[in-house]
Amino acid sequence: MPSLSRRDALHLLASSVAATMASCTQPTNEIIPYVNMPERLIPGEPLKFATSVALAGYGRGTIGITYEGRPTKLEGNPLHPASLGGSDVFMEADILDLYDPARSRAPRGPSMVNSWDEFLQAFEAARAHAVGNGGFRLRVLSGRITSPTFVRLWQALARGFPAARWHRYEPVDDDSETQGLKLAFSRPMLARPRISDANVVLCLGADPLGPGPEQPALARAFSTRRNSEKPGGMLRLYACESAWTLTGANADHRLVLAPAAICDFALAVAARLGADDGSSPSLAFKKEVEAVSDDLLAHRGHAMVLAGRTQPPELHALAAWMNARLGAPIDYIEPVDTVPGTHAGSLAALEHDLESGAVDALVIIGANPAYDRGVEFSHMIGRARLSAHMGLYADETARACRWHLPMSHILESWSDIRGPDGTASIVQPLIMPLYDSRTPEALLALVTGNRSPRDYDLVRQTWNRGGNGDFESWWRGAVERGVIEGTGAKPVTVSAPSLPQVKPAGPGRLVVTTGPDPSIWDGRYANNAWLQECPKPFTMEVWGNAIEVSPEDAKEFGIADSKYARLTCGLAVVDAPVRIRSGQAKGVVAVTLGYGRVAAGPIGDGVGFNAWPLWARRNEPVSLSPIDSGPATHTTFGHAVLDEADDKLFPRFTLAELAKLRRPITRPESSEPTLLHTPQPDDGYAWAMVIDNGLCIGCNACVVSCMAENNVPVVGPDEIDRHRDMHWLRVDTYQSGEAAGLRIGFEPVPCMHCEDAPCEPVCPVEASIHDTEGLNVQVYNRCIGTRFCESNCPYKVRRFNWFDYAGYQAYADMNAGTISAQRNPDVTVRARGVMEKCTYCVQRITRARRGAEREKRMIRDGEVVTACQAACPTGAISFGNRDDKHSHVVAQKSRGQHFALLASLGTRPRTTYLAHVSNPNPVWDKTS
Amino acid sequence: MSQLFGPRANTIGRIVLASILVLPVAALALHVLLMNSPYVTGQTNTPEQPVPFSHKHHVTEDGIDCRYCHFDVEKSAVAGVPPTQVCMSCHAHLWTNAAMLEPVRASYATGVPLRWRQANRLPGYVYFDHSIHIAKGIGCTTCHGPVGQMPLIYQARKLSMGWCISCHRDPGRFVRKPSQIFAAEWSPDDDPAQIRRLLSQYLISTKHLTDCSTCHR
Repeated sequence: MPSLSRRDALHLLASSVAATMASCTQPTNEIIPYVNMPERLIPGEPLKFATSVALAGYGRGTIGITYEGRPTKLEGNPLHPASLGGSDVFMEADILDLYDPARSRAPRGPSMVNSWDEFLQAFEAARAHAVGNGGFRLRVLSGRITSPTFVRLWQALARGFPAARWHRYEPVDDDSETQGLKLAFSRPMLARPRISDANVVLCLGADPLGPGPEQPALARAFSTRRNSEKPGGMLRLYACESAWTLTGANADHRLVLAPAAICDFALAVAARLGADDGSSPSLAFKKEVEAVSDDLLAHRGHAMVLAGRTQPPELHALAAWMNARLGAPIDYIEPVDTVPGTHAGSLAALEHDLESGAVDALVIIGANPAYDRGVEFSHMIGRARLSAHMGLYADETARACRWHLPMSHILESWSDIRGPDGTASIVQPLIMPLYDSRTPEALLALVTGNRSPRDYDLVRQTWNRGGNGDFESWWRGAVERGVIEGTGAKPVTVSAPSLPQVKPAGPGRLVVTTGPDPSIWDGRYANNAWLQECPKPFTMEVWGNAIEVSPEDAKEFGIADSKYARLTCGLAVVDAPVRIRSGQAKGVVAVTLGYGRVAAGPIGDGVGFNAWPLWARRNEPVSLSPIDSGPATHTTFGHAVLDEADDKLFPRFTLAELAKLRRPITRPESSEPTLLHTPQPDDGYAWAMVIDNGLCIGCNACVVSCMAENNVPVVGPDEIDRHRDMHWLRVDTYQSGEAAGLRIGFEPVPCMHCEDAPCEPVCPVEASIHDTEGLNVQVYNRCIGTRFCESNCPYKVRRFNWFDYAGYQAYADMNAGTISAQRNPDVTVRARGVMEKCTYCVQRITRARRGAEREKRMIRDGEVVTACQAACPTGAISFGNRDDKHSHVVAQKSRGQHFALLASLGTRPRTTYLAHVSNPNPVWDKTS
Repeated sequence: MSQLFGPRANTIGRIVLASILVLPVAALALHVLLMNSPYVTGQTNTPEQPVPFSHKHHVTEDGIDCRYCHFDVEKSAVAGVPPTQVCMSCHAHLWTNAAMLEPVRASYATGVPLRWRQANRLPGYVYFDHSIHIAKGIGCTTCHGPVGQMPLIYQARKLSMGWCISCHRDPGRFVRKPSQIFAAEWSPDDDPAQIRRLLSQYLISTKHLTDCSTCHR
């Protein structure tokens, strides 16, 4: 480059000064109206649409909130049986996946940038080549797909290519259950427990309240039976488990048993129920076995036994036999997905075909076997003449395939999907596809010769088969409600199950149990920053996973003082951080799946370790040895699991103790005398919240929902280590008792909105201030960032934005354009140097107020639903006007177990709690 | 040894003493003037528009109601700028060849929206809602000024927080009868009884109106 002349330098200097001066004017905003405005759309007002999102291939009905065609938030659809109005972390976080800038945007092939037409040419070439050699051996590999349209199009494709096969495997499969029920009933089945009809539930390693496609629905059913005001109707939950699950934490009685001992326990209970198998049951838990079996028998017709996903099929068969003896409220249905056989078998058949070179074209839709089945599978992919991967991301499997095709996100697609009970729903798009992507259904139509498939037409053709009367009005109704009534699988009548031979598990000093991660499931959500930063129940761990061992094992294997360990299981070797967990069975190592991705995207790559090699070897003996180094672990602020040192923080009652309680632990704050000035509402509203600790199952749906609603940014692992997490709502974990008797309780903590708020007098600029309705508001524009309020808050719910987390920060994708499209336009995106905290979703309050005042009426009870409340699958959170004596929140506040957190401080919090109430078996305590 | 202070020292001393008194007051006055000046508030700001749309012509000369174009103003937080379709509902028949309207016809033909410039702008942290102001009897011209007299739209009021608050503290001076809300000309009612009647009719209570959370969240 020639050196700059003096004259040029002066030119540059002058023009830069001129540019600086010119930039000192106010920017001009543009208003860009529609050309043709869509029907019913009102700019600035949200529109809600019913659709469905998927987890593990099962649909869960959702209501999408959109602003000017831009979806910003998902909530559960009350009409859909798989959500019943509640949600879970995955449903809440699906919206972020839609806008993930790491999504693939165009087909990639041999020349890196390719088009759909080029892929079709390659596909046609492979087909033409194969047809000459006797049949086109097309193999489609997918996760569980329940879409009736996909099934219809597959059948059409299979007619054209008779040698084509569809293999499906879900990484976290339900093979044990279907095979176990096949043992019992001679055909594969799915069990659908009606928990709302049960009085006694025994879980044998089962985790109905844990993460999974059915969590919202099962948790809702559970909550309907945990109301302490109907004592006769309160369900009793027993859990036998090896490692902590949400079900165990919420159980009235939890037994910590190694996997082999769970089998023994089940056999012993079965023997008490009349299984005369001649074996002598283990005597280790004789009294517990008697207490449980007597309780089950006392509630015949309303008692059930549930076996867990990772338990052997024989145990599922045994549970089915016990349920038949008990007349349990369980429906049996045919498996919802239409591919017959087990997931493992289906994948093995494909692997066999690939090995023998009998595959002309392999198309992988949505699955990622190169990650969860390991590199062996990616080598096998190369044996197919043509290999293509369709997915949201160019992931590990995409790298192993010749072609990668971008898949439309479900919120961009017209499709249909079945829920876990078989109920079908129409999936309608909330937004046009952002990229050059297609749906799996459109891909099938493409390769069968439909050169311009419209996914809308494909879905309508599936349902327009006559019998729907006036199809147009039927279609509109089905789309509007988000659920097609009467499509649920009908319970089949089953023969009396046979009593299986349960082989006692082989001896093993140490076995490993694995399961999907509560934050990122099987790894498919690894690039979702909200979920990576969602604190896992119990451990509050974020951005990674750990090997969890019991204190006894840690001592024995010499890793008590080590931070890292090497886990060896056959050929699988895993180096990872160790976490010592009280209340975990001796001889059991627990790990969660989904981490250690290498091609997830910039958020998910290299986070945690990959535990998938252990999945196939679960319940097999492993060895453990200390090592010196490994990846770091991260936990959120307040992570230390709190001891229930005094019952002011997490009081617990049994039903019997509650009945003896004369008056509420803490009276409602409005009736407490005070000498201090308290705000008096003039327009009849005093907002308040009550959280029922007894109903909180610790699922974190509220935490992620709050992030979506309130534009709460993620901060990334480094900032987490500096205790700078930004969650406006956290779920505290309290523990009491020791070792096997350890009890854990959950307590969600948003801002308390204290009437005498300690944060307010210390603010030098009145940025922390009360409004007349009792909201403790934070005025971002006044805040100068002294953080005095944070120091003075006894509940530690205030969050300081240190580094413009929502803006230019790697873990927020540098505020890429698509990410900012997710933001709620009714909530400020906070800048650097500002304190922020829970606002009681003030934007929802004012929206309801404006609506009510336009109609010249008061806001009705239940009209304001906060984001956390809407998400909660158990309805643990109630919110409303405390000055309305007939409101639900007042009724909650006058219950006996009502208490305020740290009430002795005199802060008079508006957010109060209902203490945890359990329903223990009176016989149990006498036995142990 | 010469004098330490020369003859000019007295003058300098007087000037310094006067400055100590005057400068802070002057600085404050300058600040107030500056912050209230159109340079900062944007008052009288008349942005150039893609089409020189005259409210004066459409409102006063043609007598078109505000809501013909800003049809969502009673339902939504934003009044809404009309889609091209609304312009064309008349201009497909009137002035169909006017050169001035070429961008409108082009927008309708190509589907590319017109890009209007915002004249009345509030900061991003203010959540103003048109619909509730209409519902509570606050007329368009109270904030937007004599739009019916504007050949080109401009910002007529300061739109500063102090200006907003002055009404939120005492809205009685500005509430109108329902029939007057969209009127181009309106003068305040001087009858206190009438104002009280309107305030109670609109269920306006002022206490919540000055809460921070009313406009900021």
